[in-house]
Amino acid sequence: MRSNLKLALLLAACSTLSACQPKTEDTPANAAPSEIVIGATIPLSGALAGFGSFQKWGYEHAVAQINAAGGLRIEGTVRKVRLVIRDDRSDANVAAANIDTLVSAEHAVALLGSCTPPLVIAASLAAERNATPIVSGCAPLMSFRAAKQWQWAWDLFFNEPELAEAPFKAWRDLDVASNHRIVILHDNGADGTVVGGQLWPAMAERYGYTVVANLEFPTDTTDFNASVQQAHRAGADILMVDAVTPQMVSIRKQLASAGYTPKVLVMEKGAEPTQFAEAVGPLADGVMVGGYWDASFSHAGAAELAAAYSAETQHTVSQHIADSYTAARVLLDAIGSAGSLDKLKLNTAIAATDSVYPVGPVKFAADHTAALSIAELQWQSGQTRLIWPLSPQSAAFVSPAAALATATAH
Amino acid sequence: MRRAPNLPLLRASLLRSPLLATLLLSALLYGLPFALGPYWQQLGFRALQLLTLAIAWNVLAGYCGQVSLGTGAFVGLGAYAFALGGNRLGLAVPLQLATAGIVAAGFAALASVALFRLRGLYFTVGTLALAEALRILMVNLGAFGGASGIVLHAATPAFHQLYWLSLTLAAFAALLAELLLRSPLALAMRAVRDDEDVALQMGVRSFRVKLGALLLSAMLMGLAGGLQALKLGVIEPYGAFGMGWTIDTVAVAIIGGLGTRMGPLLGTLVYVALGEMLRNLPELHAAVAGVFLLLTIRFAPRGLWSLIARKRAHG
Amino acid sequence: MPLPDLNALLQALLTGVLIGSLFALAALGLSLVVGVIRIVNLMHGELVVLGAYAAYALVQLTGLNPLLLAPVAALLVALLGWPIERYILQPVVRHGTEAPLLTTFALSIILQNLLVYCAGGDTRALESGLGARRVGSGALGAPVIYLIGALLALCVCAAVHLLITRTDFGRRIRASAEQPDAAAIVGVAVRSYYARTFMLAAGVAGLGGALLGMVFSFTPSSGVEFLLTGFAVVVLGGVGSVKGTLLGGVALGVVESLGATLFGDGYRLFIGLLAFLVFLTLRPQGLFGRSA
Repeated sequence: MRSNLKLALLLAACSTLSACQPKTEDTPANAAPSEIVIGATIPLSGALAGFGSFQKWGYEHAVAQINAAGGLRIEGTVRKVRLVIRDDRSDANVAAANIDTLVSAEHAVALLGSCTPPLVIAASLAAERNATPIVSGCAPLMSFRAAKQWQWAWDLFFNEPELAEAPFKAWRDLDVASNHRIVILHDNGADGTVVGGQLWPAMAERYGYTVVANLEFPTDTTDFNASVQQAHRAGADILMVDAVTPQMVSIRKQLASAGYTPKVLVMEKGAEPTQFAEAVGPLADGVMVGGYWDASFSHAGAAELAAAYSAETQHTVSQHIADSYTAARVLLDAIGSAGSLDKLKLNTAIAATDSVYPVGPVKFAADHTAALSIAELQWQSGQTRLIWPLSPQSAAFVSPAAALATATAH
Repeated sequence: MRRAPNLPLLRASLLRSPLLATLLLSALLYGLPFALGPYWQQLGFRALQLLTLAIAWNVLAGYCGQVSLGTGAFVGLGAYAFALGGNRLGLAVPLQLATAGIVAAGFAALASVALFRLRGLYFTVGTLALAEALRILMVNLGAFGGASGIVLHAATPAFHQLYWLSLTLAAFAALLAELLLRSPLALAMRAVRDDEDVALQMGVRSFRVKLGALLLSAMLMGLAGGLQALKLGVIEPYGAFGMGWTIDTVAVAIIGGLGTRMGPLLGTLVYVALGEMLRNLPELHAAVAGVFLLLTIRFAPRGLWSLIARKRAHG
Repeated sequence: MPLPDLNALLQALLTGVLIGSLFALAALGLSLVVGVIRIVNLMHGELVVLGAYAAYALVQLTGLNPLLLAPVAALLVALLGWPIERYILQPVVRHGTEAPLLTTFALSIILQNLLVYCAGGDTRALESGLGARRVGSGALGAPVIYLIGALLALCVCAAVHLLITRTDFGRRIRASAEQPDAAAIVGVAVRSYYARTFMLAAGVAGLGGALLGMVFSFTPSSGVEFLLTGFAVVVLGGVGSVKGTLLGGVALGVVESLGATLFGDGYRLFIGLLAFLVFLTLRPQGLFGRSA
């Protein structure tokens, strides 16, 4: 009898519930219609903290500029923008969780992404699940495209094939002498395997170089003794490396302690941020790294952006301030042109982007990517100098061995 | 004939019948997404996931006395099996989950040959080494995506559907654990836990008993891993095989009460509540959980549930 | 994979021996704790990393060379070790064999996360200034810092060995380890000696961490790797014997180095863990230990 009663209660409960619909939106705790909330997930700590610090500045600077001009006009009223930043600690899982929190707890109407493919893809997937637009400026396009047919996620960055080809073009145009033998060392992350494992070998063949060794390592390796020894013995003048900053620092130091200084040294991705040069000191000189921006570029606002950064932070400018600033501006401009906080309208407005920003012209293709043009930079005396494409502002090529010789001579 | 239900008797009969209590509680929790939004649904997913893992670990460590620090291995294998089952074999979610559970249990069966040669603390350290070795292997193997992992082709279901799946898994885990406790295997497990050599002398086939507990535990952890893959939409080896799973599971199970029925549930509630309070300081959450764990082992070695049970017995 | 030539193997052997000595130093603490106090110390890895971070903090504070500051860092970690053993570990020993293990597990979680909270998750390294200098010819040589580190490790291991075997202090420690009840009867303050042993173990671990921090980079989560490496050394070399730990460390270093040369740097720790698991199941007393 008692158990029948319980069963009856159970069935009654189920049938009542089945008539309702589960909730798909959280009720905003304190709906503040006077604010536009933008959420961002950035690696402020962990292996990618080097990129994160510049992204934070770029995003915040864009928002501050818009707010200083009064804000954005939404449905008649002018509203200020509030940027909520969450640290994803260079962890893809945390990046995804941050997106969920930013949308459900902070009620962000649009999002800005993190850096490097694993984090950007994880965050973008989470944004897709939350049906919220997200613009990222720090993930190479091939890996972004390969992940999924995107609906709400957008990416503006360079295309890996152009990045892979740039050093070869630079060597050709700058007439850099070498024995045309290359050793490649790359991490097994998304762009490491693509750039190091596929594209560089393909470009080497196209330009008449021989790859004598292609070595892969996991992204969190600390001991590179075996790889360094193997590279040293291969007898190549050129060493090309693709890794994130902590590993790049370790590799550069362990190359030195093995007594191995190649004639030409390309260190992609990890050697971009100033943290690399700060960590290795004079060992950075002569290292080539692909770039998509330099303060000397003539795009709208490029010089002002660099000046603002140096003035505010007293640090050396990095190209990452340009792509993050541009990503934020693209998003904010889309909100402004949509004139509404409806996520679908925002998404459509982003798709219609077609302007020139400090990082260059931005127009999204059907696959939600916008390509930036590639340049080749080189660390010289603690700063990145543009060495290719050749222009009145570009610097001459310096060999790492020569740089080391001048450094020890002083 | 009674007009009103006799509440004290109702409560007593519920507590005496854990199976019924589990079913009723599950039915109640089923209704959560109708009252609360996606934030709570996600929180519920996570809490129920922890509950499943804690129940699974409790079976092996609490009932059978084998303290394993290799939760990450089974969760990770389950996640990868789920993802590959969907991407490469085109399976649907139920079959993907089945694959996840089978692969995790299969690996446990293979590893048991070596692992069960180790006793006590050696076993524990062995599971830790095994989980780390597996993680490093997965990071290196390009066939499974290497460090970048795998993106799942299928779309991620809505939050409330994920919640219901997690609830179903937790209920399933609770029911299995309950059935195990009522089976003759339970006594054998307790004998092995208390003194394996004596148990062997008394005719208990300790290897089979331990293997049974390990397989059940691994399967449930693999299923939880599968759901995690479904939720994330992309998996990579650091998160899937990471130590975080072991830390969460052990903390929840011990704080709640090792070897008790209510322990995993109580531990989950405390752990998740702690997590919510320290939401913006995740390192502090882990550190405070560690402190809780320390204090529990020192002052309440049988967990919070034992404190409550003792109070109810005396008060 | 291409088979390396003899020269490459010799280089790998040399590097393995040198780094293995550092492993031995870093594992010595674990060997002492497991051998004397009979506690599986799952926070050992964090003590090693703490040594590296302590050295880093001291470098930031004073600007001196980390080689000079390494002993100070070791001392700081040692000072932390005493209260941990006396007030946190000792009281739970009576709750069974798993209780101390899980307590050290909890401590490792607390320490690791406090490190992340205070020092951040960024990768760090200690600059000894000797990183780029090398000894030997192009074909066979070693970085100066490896040689200095290995030499220091050898000296400290020898010192600890002498301390344990020749001094009164060491005799009491051995008594507390082998016959705690009898030792207590004879008047040895067993619990106090356990605490002091843990202090010694923590200090040695911290020193190992500081040295390793000068050779490789580290993050708060490097602890797990140091823990497992430590266990591998202890299992290979036998518990409680300083000589065994040193030989076990060198053996592990060589095995890992050769493994990396053959299979790639990524498999370095994997080969080590494989060796550990094989020895654990087949010969847990190690290459040089007595049968249990």
